[in-house]
Amino acid sequence: MPRNETITELGLDEYKYGFVTEDKPVFKAVPGLSEDIVRQISHHKEEPQWMLEFRLKALEVYYSKPMPKWGGDLSKLEDTLDEIYFYLKPQDQMERSWDDVPQEIKDTFEKLGIPEAERKALAGVGAQYESEMVYHSLKEQWEEQGVIFESIEDGLAKHPELFRQYFSTVVPTHDNKFAALNSAVWSGGSFVYIPKGVKVEIPLQAYFRVNAERMGQFERTLIICEEGAEAHYIEGCTAPVYSTDSFHSGVIEIVVKKGARFRYTTIQNWSNNMYNLVTQRALVHEEAKMEWLDGNLGSKLTMKYPSCYLVGERAHGEILSIAYAGDGQHQDTGGKVIHAAPNTTSQITSKSISKGLGRSSYRGLCKVYDGAEGAKSNVECDALLLDETSRTDTYPYIEIDENTASIGHEATVSKVGDEQLFYLMSRGLDEAEAMAMIVRGFIEPVAKELPLEYAIELNRLIELEMEGSVG
Amino acid sequence: MSTMTAGPAESTLAAADFDALSGEVTEPETIAGARAAAWERFNALPWPTKKSEEWRYTDLAKVGFEALTPVVPAPATAEALSADVREVLGRSGERAGVVVLREGRVAHLELEPEVARSGVVLSSIRDAADRHPEVLKRALLEAQPGPAEEKLWSLHLALLGGGYFLYVPRGVEMPAPIHAFHIVERAGTLSSAHSFVYAESGARAAVIDEFLSDDLEAETVSLHGATITGEGGAGIEYVALQRFGRGVKRFSTQHVTAGRDSSVVTFNVALGGDLSRADVTSRLDGPGSDSEMLALWFGDSNQHFDHHTLQHHAAPHAHSDLLFKGALTDAGSSVFRGLIRVDKGAQLTDAYQTNRNLLLSESSHASALPNLEIEADDVRCSHGATIGQVEDGQLFYLMSRGLTRRQAERLLVFGFFDEVLGRLPMEGVRARVREAIEEKIGL
Amino acid sequence: MSRFVTVARVDDVPENGTCGVMAEDLAIALIRSGGEVYALEDCCSHEEFPLSDGEVEAGEITCLLHGARFDLATGAPRALPAVMPVRRFDVRIDGDDIQVDLG
Repeated sequence: MPRNETITELGLDEYKYGFVTEDKPVFKAVPGLSEDIVRQISHHKEEPQWMLEFRLKALEVYYSKPMPKWGGDLSKLEDTLDEIYFYLKPQDQMERSWDDVPQEIKDTFEKLGIPEAERKALAGVGAQYESEMVYHSLKEQWEEQGVIFESIEDGLAKHPELFRQYFSTVVPTHDNKFAALNSAVWSGGSFVYIPKGVKVEIPLQAYFRVNAERMGQFERTLIICEEGAEAHYIEGCTAPVYSTDSFHSGVIEIVVKKGARFRYTTIQNWSNNMYNLVTQRALVHEEAKMEWLDGNLGSKLTMKYPSCYLVGERAHGEILSIAYAGDGQHQDTGGKVIHAAPNTTSQITSKSISKGLGRSSYRGLCKVYDGAEGAKSNVECDALLLDETSRTDTYPYIEIDENTASIGHEATVSKVGDEQLFYLMSRGLDEAEAMAMIVRGFIEPVAKELPLEYAIELNRLIELEMEGSVG
Repeated sequence: MSTMTAGPAESTLAAADFDALSGEVTEPETIAGARAAAWERFNALPWPTKKSEEWRYTDLAKVGFEALTPVVPAPATAEALSADVREVLGRSGERAGVVVLREGRVAHLELEPEVARSGVVLSSIRDAADRHPEVLKRALLEAQPGPAEEKLWSLHLALLGGGYFLYVPRGVEMPAPIHAFHIVERAGTLSSAHSFVYAESGARAAVIDEFLSDDLEAETVSLHGATITGEGGAGIEYVALQRFGRGVKRFSTQHVTAGRDSSVVTFNVALGGDLSRADVTSRLDGPGSDSEMLALWFGDSNQHFDHHTLQHHAAPHAHSDLLFKGALTDAGSSVFRGLIRVDKGAQLTDAYQTNRNLLLSESSHASALPNLEIEADDVRCSHGATIGQVEDGQLFYLMSRGLTRRQAERLLVFGFFDEVLGRLPMEGVRARVREAIEEKIGL
Repeated sequence: MSRFVTVARVDDVPENGTCGVMAEDLAIALIRSGGEVYALEDCCSHEEFPLSDGEVEAGEITCLLHGARFDLATGAPRALPAVMPVRRFDVRIDGDDIQVDLG
């Protein structure tokens, strides 16, 4: 480790992706939400009638549901939503060749390192800029095996039956207010289909960038992983820093069939003016395994609880969550595991760090239905507080209707231990260096699970990780 | 138990006005005023619904409050101890005094002369309003309940008919506990009782509240409140042993305030009733204060037990430790929702919270919600919750020694409870609680 | 053993509509879709909420609380967050009466 590295130099508080690219959309709706906007979105996408009806119905549901009163402070969100742009189309069509992507957008992604990442080793890359996917490509080798990796719009257009069979069955419109909003105005996101038995060994990656001020991004992703198939999907998110608030509300639906394995990794690094309210859920069948790896570093407020619905025998769900809340940030994150079949197992591990005026909250649910015999679940939460102004909360819900289930939950809260600090300082580190080292050690169990060599936007974590070799 | 004659007002809660609730007694203004204000607040507030986090698992809409007959305040009587009370007392070791309350009204009150001479005061709350109005006001009448408790707390205060007041002056150590019997006899009533315990600096107080009734045929509600305050260096041991019969629904709100270097133990045991809810708050108010919160419950048939706790660290250097254990069989259900809150500036807090549940039958179910809200950084806090069953290995071992499955299971439950029982300091109280549990689980 | 009990009149349940009835302490949702009348327990298996307030479409009913969907013929869950079926009852039409088998 370099000698003079400090917490600040770990880069957790620095935002490197705050640059702005000049805004040249081909279509920009008026700000605010209305039935007109919903119709425009559907019109621009040349959607079938049923989808327009689906959207309009969802808009009604959105209006009918009250703003949540739990979680983070959403009191100013309604005002924000009146001001933001719900739809902004950056270019006329989605490109399959990087060279065809408009120069400004290309520059943006070059700066973020996306093409480089693709060249290196990704199976497929998708990039969303404002409301639309501007680029989507899949390596031939996978295409030949029947893997589908498309924008969600192309998924609907090219695979209408497959799309309709699963769409909105994992996260239905009525699920919550923001799922309803997303259902009304969704735009962008991926459609992924992994055929039976196909194992995509290297990750598929989607990159989400919000560039315009007062922008709302509503990506929708639908993933079907057929029997015995395996894949790993990574998403990364960044935006410029503006004085006004932006809004991101995605819905991710994943179906993991019998014996399949799927891993979904998020490195959320939105700027600190972003509300990030996301519904991510997986339906996990017999002997299948679903893993969520959820890193929340950015945003003003994130409310996000990746879920595994374990509906087949011996299904396994795993949620690994890491959150960092600095000044002005509230990370309200966690996970849900629902055991609805015998011998299902799950593990939730959550690590959070709060610094300055930051607040991190773990919110989770472990539910075992009657009949899920032998279900086992274990939840571990560790919170680290760096300053006396920092705050942490833990709100787990454990609901057990099955007497043969075995459920454990443990949480600890601590500050950086004086003894640890003194020990490291006695070995010649100054206090700041010692602190940085302890923080790295704290998140190491999660950080080591991240596919560092692929995900360029993991820069901050890479810093944490790569500089970990003691100098 | 003897049958009481009906009080003066016999309207239902829905039809009652404040005059009807006041009966024919003249009350000290301190109490009458507080009751009137509470009645007004009760009527203004909506009932909490299952949409509120605090009432998510216990549906108050299923309790027919409106049709119940409120028991109105009445003058304290001075009846002799009934045979069943004497019988329990005969087996409960030493005591410093006895209180018997019927539907919340003080029916019998005695304090050992020697204890009285040391300055300890034991009276009805009504009498205390004349002699100790300030402390009563500060600790009870002006207490601010949390928003989710406010509706029931207001009803509790509005109905405050009796209850007892225990005051232990500076430096006085009670040699044995006060044993209070809260007896409910009239089916279809809504009654309320309060336990007021105050220990001045360096004093030691101990109380066991025992809640009793036969099985009652109509839905009956018993409200209970406890205000437990320890000044600097005081020590308090408080036990609530709930062994109502079926038909009774019970709601108890207990507020502990622990001053500098004081130490307060609360122990809730829930065995009876159809529904039993306890909200227990410990406020660590002074540096160096210590709160130990313990509870046990055993639910069978379709009993529902709901325990809510708050360990509120408002001062630095305080310590709190919570251990709640429950076992359920048949279609019994339980909820534990506990929060450790550490305020800004409450540095060097040590707070622990453990909830363990045993499910013994297919239809039993348990929910656990152990929460933390921490706003200071130099703290050690942890919580743990488990839900599981008795270990097969142990069960088979006992069965191989000739016990039936049920016997073996019950014995293991008793062993599971023993860790908590062992933490009760006073032997006489411990014996009483152990006996009540044995009776319930049928060892 | 079948035990059919009259719970409503045929006119009470319009096409793609519902009708909540009480039959011997059981809350039942009668639902008509494609001309056929179905009977399901009137409570979503995800969280307590009457299915008779729900929306009927293509042989399924959607619970309005969180969007769970159930197959009308079998009571099986068709969309999360429900993972458990709701109880279904056999239905027969006797003249103008809708009868439900309470077994």
